[in-house]
Amino acid sequence: MRSNSVGWLFLAPTLLILFIFGVVPFLYVLVIGFTQWNSFAANPDMQFAGVENFRRLVFDDQFLYSLWLTLKFAFFAVVSEIVLGYFLAQLFMRDFPGKGFFRTIHTLPLVIAPIAVGATWRLLTVPGLGPLPYYLNRWFGYDFNISRYIDQAFFTTVVMDVWHWTPLVTLTLLAALSSLPKEPFEQAQIDGANRFQIFWHITLPLLKPAILATVFIRMMDALRTVDEVWMLTGGGPGAATRYIGLHIWRVVFPKTDYGYGSAMSLITLYLTIVMCWMLYAGLVARRELKRVD
Amino acid sequence: MAPVTITNVRKRYGSAEVIHGVSVNIEDGEFVILVGPSGCGKSTLLRMVAGLEEISSGDVRIGGKVVNDRPPKDRDIAMVFQNYALYPHMTVYDNMSFSLRLKRRPVSEIDSKVRHAASILDLEKLLDRYPRQLSGGQRQRVAMGRAIVRDPQVFLFDEPLSNLDAKLRVQMRAEIKELHQRLKTTTIYVTHDQIEAMTMADKIVVMHDGVVEQIGAPLELYDRPKNLFVAGFIGSPAMNFIEGQVSAVNGQPAMTTDDGVVLPVSVPRALLQTGQRLVYGIRPEHITLGEGGPAAHVSVIEPTGSETQVFMKLGSNPLVGVFRERIALHPGERLGIRLDPGKAHLFDKTSGQRLA
Repeated sequence: MRSNSVGWLFLAPTLLILFIFGVVPFLYVLVIGFTQWNSFAANPDMQFAGVENFRRLVFDDQFLYSLWLTLKFAFFAVVSEIVLGYFLAQLFMRDFPGKGFFRTIHTLPLVIAPIAVGATWRLLTVPGLGPLPYYLNRWFGYDFNISRYIDQAFFTTVVMDVWHWTPLVTLTLLAALSSLPKEPFEQAQIDGANRFQIFWHITLPLLKPAILATVFIRMMDALRTVDEVWMLTGGGPGAATRYIGLHIWRVVFPKTDYGYGSAMSLITLYLTIVMCWMLYAGLVARRELKRVD
Repeated sequence: MAPVTITNVRKRYGSAEVIHGVSVNIEDGEFVILVGPSGCGKSTLLRMVAGLEEISSGDVRIGGKVVNDRPPKDRDIAMVFQNYALYPHMTVYDNMSFSLRLKRRPVSEIDSKVRHAASILDLEKLLDRYPRQLSGGQRQRVAMGRAIVRDPQVFLFDEPLSNLDAKLRVQMRAEIKELHQRLKTTTIYVTHDQIEAMTMADKIVVMHDGVVEQIGAPLELYDRPKNLFVAGFIGSPAMNFIEGQVSAVNGQPAMTTDDGVVLPVSVPRALLQTGQRLVYGIRPEHITLGEGGPAAHVSVIEPTGSETQVFMKLGSNPLVGVFRERIALHPGERLGIRLDPGKAHLFDKTSGQRLA
């Protein structure tokens, strides 16, 4: 028993910090989520409102639209990152001149702060100043204006996220690919599989745990993207790129609707957990199989 | 089933040549073993036959057709790897049926072939298991089952028994041999274990440093090794080698070791030159006990029950003798031995080649 209490003593500082900075804010948001608290309201004091905030959320078009946009953003970004990351990983599995150099610069986006990435892309794409709209117009006559066209704004945020995070996917998949045994692939060649069949029947199933884990990480990240997009488009034009993080920020800070914003955060957290749980279930199902021996 | 002809095959990695013009003829239905120490090029040669390694020059023919530029899938071969190379995410059944499913064979045909192969290898109860749920020997059998299901022209085995424990290895050795007798498919089998080679092969190809040292039936290699390498490689315990030079005793040719021990030889005098350096090879079982010959000094005795191995010194030369009888000996004891000149192998020291 003594050693047990000593163990808790050693854990105490971590637990205390975790409690103060993790559990307390969460409980605080949980409580606020059930209150009506808006410093601009007729009654600016915090008052208990039951599930009123959550009832309102279900019928809040702006919130639902933002949620839908976020899912769309996460889907396009994560799928592109996985596909592109896989091809880059395959490329880095081969030998070509300058490979070490390319592998190094290709990981550079990873070390850049999101706010700086947002700023860079804003400078690249801002109408009237950025080189991207200028040359697209000059060479192809294409009217690229992320302040006006909602699809362009949306896909620019996706491209920016892909640019920023594909290297992470490449690195994880590269690590997974290099750890795969060589023989099943040679065996598959002898068994008569062509390149696509080898990819489909051998590579993909063997990489599945790594791919799922990467999707898991990227999904959570994409769902809480704020700073990059805030810097690039500010959520516009209109609400075209106002992803859930930005939306919550708008409700809580400029609008000071603390109660409603907290409820939104809770719902978003819940949805993220559910989605990640579904992905995680895929991972765990694999582990269960492995555990049989 | 098909013959395999390897003609003057070379393998280069950049400027380094690792296989220097190897030619081997493998008859239809023959069981050929490529044997040699690690790094001799035997696995590379097998992988060239499989199509997993490019052939730098020379030809590989399967069934009379040059297959140099054909990918592995078009060579109609099946291969068993040292670590089995089972698909970890597929059940035994799926592993075995994979090649047939790729060929889009009818389900009923796939099923009957897989079950047939499973019954040959005693795998019927394991068809739903995953490779990780199998023991080494079972995995080995699945890998073989996967090859049998294909019904290929040629079986290729790359050190398939190296990962098994000694007992299982002996058992699988017999199973593979039996399987070959039953299916009569042309087989090329790579191993570094000369006992495997001796016990299983119709024909052994001994390789060393990228060249073929000798090709022949197991006992032919054992009885008449062409050179010192083959003589030393084939046989366990290995052949004893004693160095010396040509001399004559009573007008009969003999060899005098550097310690002055005279060993009579039965090689025509015309083949020998006075002063020529020789290596006298004698297999451990061809050393017999008895007076009248040279005297050795016992250093270690290893009784195995069925036989007794005696490590001794003849002058400064170490010798190993294997005796069927149980003999009471003690280290340091003097032992009278006889070396039968008719059973001895004589090699030229400089060229390493056999004399007569």
